[in-house]
Amino acid sequence: MEKIKSYCSKPANLITVIFLTLLLLAVVLPLGTLLVGSFRVNGNQEAIWIGDDVEEGSWTFHHWTELLTSKEFNYAETKFWIPLWESALMAIISCFVAVLFGGMVAWFITRSDLPAKQFISTVFVFPYIMPSWSMAMFWENFFKNTGINAGMGILQSTTGICVPESMVYGLWPCAMSLGLHYAPFAYILIGGILRNMDANLEEAATVLKASRFKILRRITLPIVLPALISTILLVFSSSISSFTVPFFLNKSSINSGNNFVSISVQMRNLINTGFTIGQGYVVAIVLMIFSIGILTLNNWFTGTRKSFTTVTGKSGQVSLVNLGRARIPTAVLMIIIVAFFAIMPLLSFAMESLFEVPGDWSTFTLRYWTSTELFEGSNKGDTIGILRSATMWRAMGRSLLLSVLVSLLAGTIGILIGYAVARKRGSRAATLMSDLAFLPYLIPSMSFGAVYLALSYTKGFTWLDSSFFLLLLVGSVKFMPFASRAGTSAMLQLSGEIEEAAIMMGVPWWKRMARVLFPIQKASFISGYLLPFISCMREMSLFVLLAASYTTLVTTLLQEYSRTGLTQASNAINLLIILVVLVIQFAVNKLTGASLDRGIGG
Amino acid sequence: MPKIVLEHITKRFDKAGTHNAVQDLNMVIEDREFITLLGPSGCGKTTTLRMIAGLETPTMGRITIGDTVVFDSETGVNISPAKRDIGFLFQNYALWPHMTVYQNISFGLENLGWTQERIRKRVEEMLALLQIETFEKRYPSELSGGQQQRVAIARTLAPAPKVLFMDEPLSNLDAKLRLEMRTELKRLHAETDSTFVYVTHDQLEAMTLATRVCLMNNGLLQQYAPPLRVYNDPANLFAAEFVGSPTINFIPVSARKTGMHTAEFSTLGRTFLFEGDDSLVDLNDTRRDNAVLGVRPEFVHLEEGVMKGQVYAALPSGMETIVQLKVEGQLLTSVKFGGVDYNVNTPMYFTFSGSGLLLFDKESGRKLAKGSVKLKE
Repeated sequence: MEKIKSYCSKPANLITVIFLTLLLLAVVLPLGTLLVGSFRVNGNQEAIWIGDDVEEGSWTFHHWTELLTSKEFNYAETKFWIPLWESALMAIISCFVAVLFGGMVAWFITRSDLPAKQFISTVFVFPYIMPSWSMAMFWENFFKNTGINAGMGILQSTTGICVPESMVYGLWPCAMSLGLHYAPFAYILIGGILRNMDANLEEAATVLKASRFKILRRITLPIVLPALISTILLVFSSSISSFTVPFFLNKSSINSGNNFVSISVQMRNLINTGFTIGQGYVVAIVLMIFSIGILTLNNWFTGTRKSFTTVTGKSGQVSLVNLGRARIPTAVLMIIIVAFFAIMPLLSFAMESLFEVPGDWSTFTLRYWTSTELFEGSNKGDTIGILRSATMWRAMGRSLLLSVLVSLLAGTIGILIGYAVARKRGSRAATLMSDLAFLPYLIPSMSFGAVYLALSYTKGFTWLDSSFFLLLLVGSVKFMPFASRAGTSAMLQLSGEIEEAAIMMGVPWWKRMARVLFPIQKASFISGYLLPFISCMREMSLFVLLAASYTTLVTTLLQEYSRTGLTQASNAINLLIILVVLVIQFAVNKLTGASLDRGIGG
Repeated sequence: MPKIVLEHITKRFDKAGTHNAVQDLNMVIEDREFITLLGPSGCGKTTTLRMIAGLETPTMGRITIGDTVVFDSETGVNISPAKRDIGFLFQNYALWPHMTVYQNISFGLENLGWTQERIRKRVEEMLALLQIETFEKRYPSELSGGQQQRVAIARTLAPAPKVLFMDEPLSNLDAKLRLEMRTELKRLHAETDSTFVYVTHDQLEAMTLATRVCLMNNGLLQQYAPPLRVYNDPANLFAAEFVGSPTINFIPVSARKTGMHTAEFSTLGRTFLFEGDDSLVDLNDTRRDNAVLGVRPEFVHLEEGVMKGQVYAALPSGMETIVQLKVEGQLLTSVKFGGVDYNVNTPMYFTFSGSGLLLFDKESGRKLAKGSVKLKE
């Protein structure tokens, strides 16, 4: 009894006990229900679909066998294997694009005497702050044309060129826009290693008379290799399960040959029919296994090879490659390219929302922003001008409220977890807690949504179904990894002595947190709040399965508008989301000095 | 006034329990002592200090400060550090970077519920004691290492703790400043009337500061005695080697008992007779290489006697000269007062003098006797 009392008298122990329990409930339990759901008859409609007089709630292998093996009408092939294979192909291409583009920029920024580095770096990373589908929407806005019955795009209205449908919709454009979206991510990872790599390592080889090429091949590449592999694996795992991009670029007619249903889109289709929910769960589990496998591989790579990637400190003099006469032309070219991908998407969203026919000034209109006309057959308050639309404002308000609550919850819990992990370093319970808090990062958003969907259908948890609380729960848990990582690294940077000095003075725990620890690492902790906020504000895949008509968020509304072909409205909403995210990030950055790059990117 | 008693203190970090950071430590620290916990890194000295302070929980044992049992693994008593009435000075000072010097010192006092006026008075007193009045409004990052150290001391002393713990407080300072702070700590010990417990791996620091040295290795207490006693009469090979600079000479010998207090052994090409002040009953003379003769460098006298070697290297430093001799394949270190320089390979006569020579049991490392040697004719 005394022992329990003395164990709990330490805040770090108490935090571990509480949050370990909560995380087990919030992460492990839902995962369990998803697994169970894939072996069960979920609801009445599914029972009818399976036939054979199976009863609702009974055990069955049907979901797995039908989706993975059924040859009837090529069911397994068309519903599972082809989407999976094509998604993998898309992911591979996008890796290639991201690493090539991002790596090239990283090399120029860190290893050459290119002018205007600061500008290029800032602008290049900018698209990464935009929602993940922005590049896809921009791609469509840019390339679509009347030749494929999709309205006039920027390219056609400025040059008259009509590109074939396969360049606008389908696998190839998806891969390209994903690659472009993840290029800044590759840049951050590869550039980080290149920048921190001690130049002495290369100089030591130069002194030993190694040639430049040999240095690159034998010294630089092996050192950058782990970062490179890491980038490839992370981009691959994010791309293969991407829902939003294939969703926005899957508008071609079914028989055109460009129809591309990614595995995540397929998952949503399976779940939304109501007949094949269990099969949707199967896809969610498969994707999850994929992701966790890839990320384990990644940890193994970076873990075993980390020893020589570790940074020996900021090396003073880096010998920069002299670009010579190519210096200015390269810089101009780079500025044009990065500015194109940073600014053009925003312009294209604005144009799409301001013109009936993009680029045609005679069709300029503010109708899609300010009109009070109602959509045909829409609900009350659903006006064409989104600034007048009560539905839009309600969704926006709900999104903001949700993001604020998620960031407060995740951020605070992240700091507390960070505190406990730093204080109880190496203890088994603390390690488990930290792993559990990070686990949601490994699970694709769409699968994570499915996990909580399964939970909300489970007996005893049905009160969660379609509630705002469900969104809050899923958001807080999904974005917890950002916060707990930020919190942990900030706490680990502080030597334990800083707190112990206060303990010796008899300062109570809450006061130590509020007066000593928090002020010192203010910037990092606030990043721990900012990251979940921004991620939540621009998240669609996670909520698309869960948001009901009366818990519509601004992103799910955008999805709805895009699905029903309201191009102008969806572009306008996207622009609004980006503006809100930018304004808040800028404000927080100016007020507190916290910034996104202090945490991990996602 | 407090007296600190440690009884059977054991600390294990790994659950498997294969390695003890501290093992069955028993120790009494008397009131107003200046104790140093001395040993190589990883020997458990910092862990011991943190356990007494309450920052670490022992796996087993009992700690009493004054009349209060502050920790007892059997009854589960574990009083929080704040209630142990102690001060703790950290290696990296642990000054709060976002508070000024004044705030750093006053923050702890606020928690004692003192009035603003009383706090002001006490902080000013501390600033004056450590001679840092002018830095009152500065932040730690604007101070030099020595100044930060003073602020840390002021902060620790402000609540007037009865016991002050220090964890290698001088290791981050440069050599000159370290010497200065050493003097100051000794003065503070006299002025503040408190008990000091001080962790260091620097044997010189331990020798010069402490009233008693607690020498540890691998979590085990090696010797707990006044510094000169540890130097002159070390309990074992480890204590003899760890304390003293330059290091003691160890000469492996095969010793044979010739009487209650006497033994005979051959080494360096000569046969010696050893006469000790303790009984040599524990000497096991059934085996060869059973003992080690320990000779402090000051007992190797050069340019005297009949034993002969060659100068291997001479390192004059002004006040003294360290001379290394090569004798029959073995290196011997000698210290000679005054600055003399010998050329390498100069032939050199030497002798072992004095009654401070030590004979250790080779197997257990235990000291058998202290005494003198003479050559057998």
